[in-house]
Amino acid sequence: MRVYILKRLIQIVPTVLMITLVVFLMMQSIPGDPVVALLGDAYNQEDAEKIRQAYGLDRPILVQYVIWLEKLVQGDWGASILTGRPVLQDVLVRLPVTLELIALSMAIALVIAIPAGIIGALRQNTWPDYTATSVAMIGVSIPEFFVGVLLLLAFSIGLNGVLPSSGWVYLPGTCPNMVCGVSFWGNMQHVLMPAVALGIGRAAILTRLLRASMLEVIRTEYVTTARAKGLAERPVVLKHALKNALIPTVTVMGLQVGFLIGGAIVVETLFAMPGLGTFGIDAIIARDYQQVQGFALITALAFVIINLLVDLTYTFLDPRIRYA
Amino acid sequence: MANGGEPLRMKPRTISGGALNEAALPAGIAVPGPLARSEAPLTEAIRRLRKSTTAVIGAVIVVVLVLVALFADVLAPMSPIVSDQNTTFARPSLDHPLGTDQLGRDMLSRVIHGSRVSLVVGVSSVVLALFVGVPLGLIAGYVGGRIDSVVMRLMDLILAFPVYLLAIIIMIMFTPTAGLLGTIKVVGAIAIVRIPIYARLVRGSVLSIKEKEFIEACRALGARDPMIIRRHVLPNCLAPIIVTTTLGIATAIIVEATLSFLGLGTQPPTPSWGWDLKANISFIQANAWLTLYPGLAIFVTVLGFNLFGDGLRDALDPRLK
Repeated sequence: MRVYILKRLIQIVPTVLMITLVVFLMMQSIPGDPVVALLGDAYNQEDAEKIRQAYGLDRPILVQYVIWLEKLVQGDWGASILTGRPVLQDVLVRLPVTLELIALSMAIALVIAIPAGIIGALRQNTWPDYTATSVAMIGVSIPEFFVGVLLLLAFSIGLNGVLPSSGWVYLPGTCPNMVCGVSFWGNMQHVLMPAVALGIGRAAILTRLLRASMLEVIRTEYVTTARAKGLAERPVVLKHALKNALIPTVTVMGLQVGFLIGGAIVVETLFAMPGLGTFGIDAIIARDYQQVQGFALITALAFVIINLLVDLTYTFLDPRIRYA
Repeated sequence: MANGGEPLRMKPRTISGGALNEAALPAGIAVPGPLARSEAPLTEAIRRLRKSTTAVIGAVIVVVLVLVALFADVLAPMSPIVSDQNTTFARPSLDHPLGTDQLGRDMLSRVIHGSRVSLVVGVSSVVLALFVGVPLGLIAGYVGGRIDSVVMRLMDLILAFPVYLLAIIIMIMFTPTAGLLGTIKVVGAIAIVRIPIYARLVRGSVLSIKEKEFIEACRALGARDPMIIRRHVLPNCLAPIIVTTTLGIATAIIVEATLSFLGLGTQPPTPSWGWDLKANISFIQANAWLTLYPGLAIFVTVLGFNLFGDGLRDALDPRLK
């Protein structure tokens, strides 16, 4: 197991290097000059040159990349061209908010999808199955931000505004600066709607998948055998069938993480949450190269790491994969 | 597919191909190729498709939407971009069946015209991805070796990014603009992120098909590689490609709406559902319906393609039902 984890960790290195290169090259090709944006009306040739030198913007692109990568590894992700604050610090402050949102929405997706998928498969072609599949069909067809808007209408504008439409209250112990609201319940109130908005679509996709793979698994001979030897229905479904049906579901979950991260950007923007998504979109609008790089990099890195975790979950579900 | 009216020299190939294909299937090789075996499965697939309620509902939604987009100029009661300062935030009425927005533009006309961007981007981005991804997958899978690893590493590189992040990065590079050019940029961005899906799918199918004995028979008969790929390998990959394409249009429409929502899609004044939804959120408190219409329009469109795609999959690959 340890060897396998180590092997997977080493495999990540070239991927991460390529990601950094692509992010860097893409950001270089963005039209628009950050120095002009920075100086604004006070633009003059002399100051512009100074700033270009200070940020290394006058060197060849590949040299800029190597310098950047070197600093990156040392934890220096550059400073925001507009605010002067270190990018890594800003990004790390925002990361927990996004991770909380993603984790919670994944949990919501699983809590809905696992029972719905099992019931759909076991009661195939009955009304509980039709309900589950129809609701799932609606769920996969509705974009996150529209779910968010519907939730806003229902709970922030309707129902006397029981849930806040925007802003954030931090979990105890995670407040990044001196002044911020801290409370567990406050946090839950703020994260609930965004997490549901993000989780519903994933729940729908996972339900459809789990139902399909459960249908396949419960027709296999080992499930028949398990039933024939007198096992109760519950262990047959949960231990024999579900564990095997979960394998394709976990694969797709890994792929869905990419959509979750993207969806988080949208949902955070909609609910004005202080996460990575709003950070990234604000940086894009302000054309802050350093911040956009940091955002793209941390997002892509998070994606790679979560995919690694999904791969490791695999080996738990299906020990055969370890030896492959 | 390959046997109707062929010259004599082709015959052994098709006969052995058909027979071996049948024999090989129980071994668990994933060749969902009912299209390639004979004409009967195709006719049967169409019959199953017509019997499926979901597929028919999906097809009806899609056809209606295509008609709306085509005849938007005739159907829309007003111009979607001309504003009228006297009737801002009008409630739904006979003059404005869906009301007006903050610039006094008729919402019904905007929703009708918005279908163009969604459908054009959804369909053409997927078709573009198809035309790049399928040949890449065919070549990578069929030729193998170094070309295979180069192509697939390139695909892995695209897949190393979360879909939305890459689409956002590409749109920043392209600089979002309005009108046709703006729409083409969005098509390009979404196509790029969808290429690996086809390349991987096709490569996987090709890898298993090219080991089949009927392909070897083709070679023994002296058929050239391009001809083998076109006549025998590609038809055997068609079923999953068709299904992925239909469902892919649904995804592409969601990605387009999301990019527009983030302000990175086609720019105003071109009407776009995602942008409209975003623009009207500021007024959600007093004018909730303004956010509902574009949102519902996106939802119904995506639902149509998903229903049709689902029905299509069940029809082409009955084992999944």
